[in-house]
Amino acid sequence: MATGYAAPANTQYVGSLACKACHPEVWSTFFRNAHFKSVAMKKEDPAHTGCEGCHGPGGAHVASYGGRKNIRVFSQLTPAETTAVCLECHAKDLPRANIYASEHTQADVVCTSCHSIHHSSGPRFLLAKQQAELCYQCHEGVRSQFAMPARHRVDEGAMTCSDCHNPHGSFAATWGMGTNQTMQQAAFDVEQPCLRCHTDKRGPLVFEHASVRVEGCTACHFAHGSTNTKLLRRPVVFTLCLECHNGAGTFGRETASVYSTPFSHNLLDPRYQRCTLCHVRIHGSNSDPMFLR
Amino acid sequence: MRSRRLKKLKLTILFIPAWLWAQQTVAPTTDAPVGPVRGQDAGDYNIVQSWELGYRFATIGGDQDLYRSDVNYGDGIRLLGSSLTVNSRDGHGRWLDSLSLTTQGLGGDPYQSVNLRAEKNGLYEYDMTWRDNAYFNPGLAIAGGQHLMNTNYKWQDHDLTLLPQNWFRIHMGYSRVAQDGPALSTQQVFGSQGPVFPLFSNISEQFNEYRLGGDVRARGFKLTILHRWQYFREDSSQYQSGPVPGLLNPSPSAATLTSYQQSQPYRGQTPAWFGNLYYERKWVAVDARFNYAGGRGSFLQNEVAMGLDRFGAAQNQQIAVAGTGDRPITSGDLNITLFPASRFNLLTEMSVSDVRMNGSNSFTQLNYNTLSLATLNFQFLGIRLLTGSATAHYRFSKKLNVFAGFQYSDRQIRSIEDTTSPGFPFAGIAAEQVDLLRAGTAGFNWMAAKNLQVHGEAEIGRDNNPFTPVSLRNEHGIRANVRYRLKSLSLTGAYQENYNNNSIAITAYSSHARTYSANATWSPTSRVSVDASYSKLHLDTIGGISFFAATGFATSFYPNQQSIYISNIHAANLDVRFAATKRLDLFAGYNITRDAGDGRSAIAVQPNPVTQLLYSVQTFPLTYQSPFARISWRLQENLRFNVGYQYYGYGEDFGLPGYRQGYRAHTGYTSLLWSF
Repeated sequence: MATGYAAPANTQYVGSLACKACHPEVWSTFFRNAHFKSVAMKKEDPAHTGCEGCHGPGGAHVASYGGRKNIRVFSQLTPAETTAVCLECHAKDLPRANIYASEHTQADVVCTSCHSIHHSSGPRFLLAKQQAELCYQCHEGVRSQFAMPARHRVDEGAMTCSDCHNPHGSFAATWGMGTNQTMQQAAFDVEQPCLRCHTDKRGPLVFEHASVRVEGCTACHFAHGSTNTKLLRRPVVFTLCLECHNGAGTFGRETASVYSTPFSHNLLDPRYQRCTLCHVRIHGSNSDPMFLR
Repeated sequence: MRSRRLKKLKLTILFIPAWLWAQQTVAPTTDAPVGPVRGQDAGDYNIVQSWELGYRFATIGGDQDLYRSDVNYGDGIRLLGSSLTVNSRDGHGRWLDSLSLTTQGLGGDPYQSVNLRAEKNGLYEYDMTWRDNAYFNPGLAIAGGQHLMNTNYKWQDHDLTLLPQNWFRIHMGYSRVAQDGPALSTQQVFGSQGPVFPLFSNISEQFNEYRLGGDVRARGFKLTILHRWQYFREDSSQYQSGPVPGLLNPSPSAATLTSYQQSQPYRGQTPAWFGNLYYERKWVAVDARFNYAGGRGSFLQNEVAMGLDRFGAAQNQQIAVAGTGDRPITSGDLNITLFPASRFNLLTEMSVSDVRMNGSNSFTQLNYNTLSLATLNFQFLGIRLLTGSATAHYRFSKKLNVFAGFQYSDRQIRSIEDTTSPGFPFAGIAAEQVDLLRAGTAGFNWMAAKNLQVHGEAEIGRDNNPFTPVSLRNEHGIRANVRYRLKSLSLTGAYQENYNNNSIAITAYSSHARTYSANATWSPTSRVSVDASYSKLHLDTIGGISFFAATGFATSFYPNQQSIYISNIHAANLDVRFAATKRLDLFAGYNITRDAGDGRSAIAVQPNPVTQLLYSVQTFPLTYQSPFARISWRLQENLRFNVGYQYYGYGEDFGLPGYRQGYRAHTGYTSLLWSF
């Protein structure tokens, strides 16, 4: 996980126009590239401008009419070296402290694993592929989750992975135990990512369903997709509710336990198998501690 | 040499969309290249654009409501997709240097979006996203189909950065989320064990956020300050006119609702401050953050119901609720990464957050018949969370690096709540729980051979007092993946296992999830690409439950029962793209998700009704599959004709209590994709 990269010994910068002579296929469309602004602005020093901003000084490369040993070639760099090179400029917006702490960096997934500087699929963020396809190439299990009947609409283009995740690393969560959060991007910087779209669940509500606020939405829902409607963790709702509301807890007001179902709730009656038929405000209510209205 | 490279460039550009085609065929096809690869020059600008206009069709058999919930494509003319990019060739345009506009599904698709980005080097960057999703849910599993939603979700985000390349930048933004449309709901009225009635519901929710801030960079520091103004409003209402019988009434069942009206306006606002400080040096990187969000909501509820209760007695009831709720959230984070040597780095993360939920709430239920009142007020919920972690990375060589870390969390939850009647003081029953989590992780990255990368990691954690019976307590996880990448071939394989055992005094819960997956992508030439993947997701859980049930006239308590759920999902997809000629591209694929459940083929008869009920919900075998095909024919350099077909088939092998669903849908489209 080295942070520095030893550039080739030659330190003579020749400018991007010198590269154009032998690499016209790159230069001819480089004005569409986000990195072109470093050339247009003419504010950066040669080490952070145009081709040499990434590939290093090209003096020796030009002098020897090409070659791969006298210039920085990204396909020959280790993952750690690639990260270090990109962060020379991008650390001002993507702090190294978060990048290096991210699960991606831990798994040697680095900038060029997702970004293609010269052959990006679209103008935004220079992604090598459409974002979901890019993520699926490693997260195959997630692809299958988004192909399930109940799912967030990522494959349909209505959402992207980065709506909920920060691939560059994020801070600890304020929900759950603050760990194992798989690089989730907090909504409004500090709340569960689900609440960015499901704003009606955000509250504040006087009667919070404590498990929602304490443990998070994933206590009851799968995040990506499910074979169960509404992305629930169980196919019918009473099994989901009873796994917590079994009288076995150690918190709350009901004789120091989680609510268990009362005597009147005959589980063999279809009415009581459908808990949310009555407990309609199950995410939290302003008027009823039992979430009945 | 130059011409050979240009040819290579064209092939590359033709080749790239093959990757992009690995998606549902009913999605837009604007990634197919039309028009000149280099775009067209207009003055100092270069323009690349394509537009896809077409007609969708859908024929559905079976449960149409479920089709609308899962897929929802319909008939009609659509601007299926479009893409426009404008770039100044020298980076010195007058008003803008770059503009990018993409759209999807405009004109009636259930998933419509527009993305716009415009920038002028050194002056501004503007990003806009607009999305509109048609949402439909029949709510079968949660309320037997009595909760139905047919709403539209609309999102828009605007972000403007001034002086984006400067040491001082200004950020402005606006976001909006809105949901509206009809829904069906239910309400229990005339007593806590009273009947439940179906109601019509008119959903109306809006969230607006305004942002203003800036950042300053100097001497290795960067300071960001941002203020948010957030407003939420809900004006949903429920009503029913004319007599309706109750649903699944308790016995006796004379209950009738003759009139019902409920309105519950809610207004919320959350002013929030965000501060961020970076510090970067060669040997250290620091990222510190502070957040404060002072959420506050004010609400009213007025409910009037008239009818007969389950005993046939006339009821005339009004419920009025008013109050406020406050939820300040404060959090702080400090990440420090040290780089003491080229082979070694040390990462530390520390976070603290405090969430306090409190409010003054008066709940008054007035029964006009008995003139009785009931009041309930106040609840407090506070969560304080401290987390920290330290991870060390060491690189043995260019081919091998390892990491190991430790993390802890310390969470305190407090609650005060009570019910009281008018004239009686609020006592408040307090509860407190402290929860400690300790976890360790370790892993490695190994370049086993050229282009062959292996990653493995393991984690083990212990939580001494989890909040719910399904929370993590004694958990461990293993993750491993292997990646082999060549220019034309990519092979990946992954395995992940998570195990949790949460045994507590009365009950026990354990969950064991395993995911196996493999993917192969092969592009032997620019004319052919194949993408295939398979995943197996296996989940076993068992949880202790207890409940009451009445068999005959006797209601009995059933403690120490078990809720078992077994899901055994096989998911596969295959996408093939073949450029048959220079003008004709063929694309075909197949997706299938099959939950084989626990292996049974039907629900067998069990000895008693309670066992039968639990047995019937232990597994939910089903099949969801979708073969598709598309032909794209290049009529001219700037014009393509596309035709696509996709089948959606859903079937449940056997039903859960009360329902069994399935549908068959034939969908497709024809379109013209052109640039001009």
